[in-house]
Amino acid sequence: MRLPLLNILLLISFAVNAQQASTDSLFNRNLEEVVVTATRSERKLSNVAVPVTLIQQKTIRQSGSLRLPDILAEQTGLFITQSFGKGVQMQGLSPDYTLILVDGEPLIGRTGGVLDLSRITVGNIRKIEIVKGPSSSLYGSEALAGVINIITDRSNARKLQADLRYGRFNTLDASLNGSTRMGKLSLGAFVNSNSSEGYSLRPNAVQKTVEPFWRLTTQVNIGYDFSERTHFNLTTRYNYEDIQNSITVQNLGTQVLSKGKENNRDLNITPTFSHRFNNQIKTTFRGYITQYNSKQSLEVKDQLIGYNDQFKQEFYRIENQTDIAFSDDHNLNAGGGYIREFVQSNRYDSLQTKRSNQVGYFFLQDEWRPLKNLSLIGGLRFDANSAYASVWSPKLAVQYRVTEKLRINASVGRGFKAPDFRQLYLNFTNIAAGSYSVFGSLVAKDEVLRLQAAGQIDNILPVFEKLTDLNPETSTGLNIGAQYDPSKKIKTRINFFRNDISNLILTDVIAYKTNGGQIFSYLNISRAFTQGLEAEASWQFNTSFNLSGGYQFLMTADKDILDAIAAGEMYKRDEQSGISSLLTRQEYAGLPGRSKHMINLKLFYENPSQQWFATARAIYRSRWGTSDIDGNGVINRDDEFADGYMQLNVSGGRNFARGIRIMAGVDNLLNYTDPENMPGMPGYNWYVSMSFDFGKFKQTRKQ
Amino acid sequence: MKTVKFFSIVFMVLTVGIFSCSKDKTTTPTAPLVTKTVSDLVADTIIGFAASGQPFGAGKYTFFSLENNAIVPSSDSATNKWDIAFRGTSIITNSGNSGPAQGGGFVFTGLFDDLKTIPADSAFKTDNAPASYAITSGSNKGWYIYNAPVNLITPIPGRVLVIRTATGKYAKVEILNYYKGGVTPAATATDEEKLKKQRYFTFRFLFQPDGTKVF
Repeated sequence: MRLPLLNILLLISFAVNAQQASTDSLFNRNLEEVVVTATRSERKLSNVAVPVTLIQQKTIRQSGSLRLPDILAEQTGLFITQSFGKGVQMQGLSPDYTLILVDGEPLIGRTGGVLDLSRITVGNIRKIEIVKGPSSSLYGSEALAGVINIITDRSNARKLQADLRYGRFNTLDASLNGSTRMGKLSLGAFVNSNSSEGYSLRPNAVQKTVEPFWRLTTQVNIGYDFSERTHFNLTTRYNYEDIQNSITVQNLGTQVLSKGKENNRDLNITPTFSHRFNNQIKTTFRGYITQYNSKQSLEVKDQLIGYNDQFKQEFYRIENQTDIAFSDDHNLNAGGGYIREFVQSNRYDSLQTKRSNQVGYFFLQDEWRPLKNLSLIGGLRFDANSAYASVWSPKLAVQYRVTEKLRINASVGRGFKAPDFRQLYLNFTNIAAGSYSVFGSLVAKDEVLRLQAAGQIDNILPVFEKLTDLNPETSTGLNIGAQYDPSKKIKTRINFFRNDISNLILTDVIAYKTNGGQIFSYLNISRAFTQGLEAEASWQFNTSFNLSGGYQFLMTADKDILDAIAAGEMYKRDEQSGISSLLTRQEYAGLPGRSKHMINLKLFYENPSQQWFATARAIYRSRWGTSDIDGNGVINRDDEFADGYMQLNVSGGRNFARGIRIMAGVDNLLNYTDPENMPGMPGYNWYVSMSFDFGKFKQTRKQ
Repeated sequence: MKTVKFFSIVFMVLTVGIFSCSKDKTTTPTAPLVTKTVSDLVADTIIGFAASGQPFGAGKYTFFSLENNAIVPSSDSATNKWDIAFRGTSIITNSGNSGPAQGGGFVFTGLFDDLKTIPADSAFKTDNAPASYAITSGSNKGWYIYNAPVNLITPIPGRVLVIRTATGKYAKVEILNYYKGGVTPAATATDEEKLKKQRYFTFRFLFQPDGTKVF
């Protein structure tokens, strides 16, 4: 791939070009907070009727974050899960159900339903917008729990900035970010390299808990203003990831050391063309070309075992969105698009077979303010598909301003997640472990009948007959909340949420092989709910101190389990006596991996001249269910939980003259580890970093 | 209204009490049924590893008489002296091609103490090894579940093995634990410990000697 080299060359040219000092300082305070994700159009944060969290670049920088999960972990109600990479749990829903956007375009390449957020560097993030609650009415599939939109720095001011950071485990992170403007043309480029030798939480194990890796991210933006009203932008983002794996493989009763390699590449190209006809009408055409390539191989010396897995996903989209302002109080957003998607994998049939899907969609959103203090938003989206049933996703939101200080919000909406290629086409047989097979729902019938004809099927279960159309997983979400700001210095927010999810896709046994192996496929078999309360408050004590805190109370349950408990069909086993008894509703702890209580408390300090800053951030999470031990398949016994814990992160730094900044910090200062349940938490983690702003350097020299 | 209800309940309780008292006097006293617990019944513990890495035992069943609450020597395996036998997770009954008697059984879903009468429509199954067993074999199909990520075997709560003994009488059995000392190793224990301590059954049972299906 030539792209990174090109990007680096571009950056060097900025170094030469960066003559003028940038005027947009990182440290501008009290800017009007504007968000785009909640309504797909620019709105003041305080006017948005759905729960939105906004994280500014300054907070990300002062917190010493490197990758996206670092900063998300410190937000109220979000939890970073650690299976198939780092995913985010929102409103108690699994990572599969949060849509991840970069500059409004969805990232692809999920493994086991999880998009590894470690793939995303925070180095060029301008802000992060987190919208909670179903948002499929605007964004389609995957937006059940909500949407996280990462908005990168595409400013066209002349600047060049370098960052270098070194920390524990030989972690090295280096970034260069530059932009310039030549008349109507603006250019921006960013490159980031991130590497670490990994770490081991079990000193005697051959295999490290986190293996050595190297990641490279590059991004180039080209903008051209045809006129005041007509703009063109092209963004190219490329991400490369290389992970070494030393695994011990059990072979013929002995342990064999093997070398593994994982390689993930991710390319996004986004051309955008927008034109404003007049004060009322604006239209935007967006194209999106993205590919994700993943290769995982394992080689065992002098042995034939091992594997070489490949996965390639392509996603192409064209879209138009037109915004019409009928009046100051009445706005309409209408849009539509077409998606073509392809997947190739040796785990789905063969690498040569290209599986494809097409989606056509349109959406409408009407925002109307019938009274001065009342606004209503209605939205509707239709997604038609070639591989599964089509979906309507409506949403309704209301905001009522009781006073200038008190606002009440309520919204109800539908969310959905389309069956993914894995659930439709997977064709995997594990010869080593019990010879089980997993077949996607669209191929399972043919495969089982083929095996039956070959005399390899012992028993077909009744559920086999239900294998035909896999329906999208759907949810209905309700959010009711209030914002109360007693003064300019104190802001509070509270939100109640409830998500009812149906048609959840799970694997189930559909047949048995003559050799005893089980055959699994994917079925819409489960229903669940998550509900809770989220509260946040922040207090700007004076110009220097800001104290903020957040709390989430969460309750979840599998509705089928609740029905079974009510019917007296769920049992538990006493740890001491081994005797069974009935499970009660109070003992059932809900879905695994969910903490009932999550708390964060953050203190940010900056001296009045903004030279010094320091932060201390504490995150607490109460115990959460890990795996069933007493054989009933649900979490109910004390030994089925992982311990709750608190993580404390601190950082501090100083801005010097000539655009130089030095910073140091320690994440997880209390050195908490839990190798079994939290492998991604390496104990305390110190770092030092330095940044250099070339624009400021020249500015100071001129004076 | 409430007082009327109260008095009718009191009346009912009194009559039932008097009625059962008189009944007690007329029936011949029988020894009350006692639930017995068997600990650490060795069921073909692991003695080595196959070339594939799979652990194996000597391949021998441990035979047990519910009627006598005693282990039966394997030399008596072709007699009516035993009711059930254990080998790893396999539990056989003295029926079908497992033994000469007309025993059998099935896995009942419910609580041991709640099973007072074996339902009249219950279908007793017999062994037809290796295709099928009265006590269904396999993880999450009969009496146990295998938790692959932590490599542990756990009896499924709320499962009762209903057994028709070699002499055609009835018993109910609840498997309490599969590990030595009746204690399941911690999920974090080594695989070695988990393998060394497994295949030791702890179970409780109630045998009805009068031949009825009532416990």
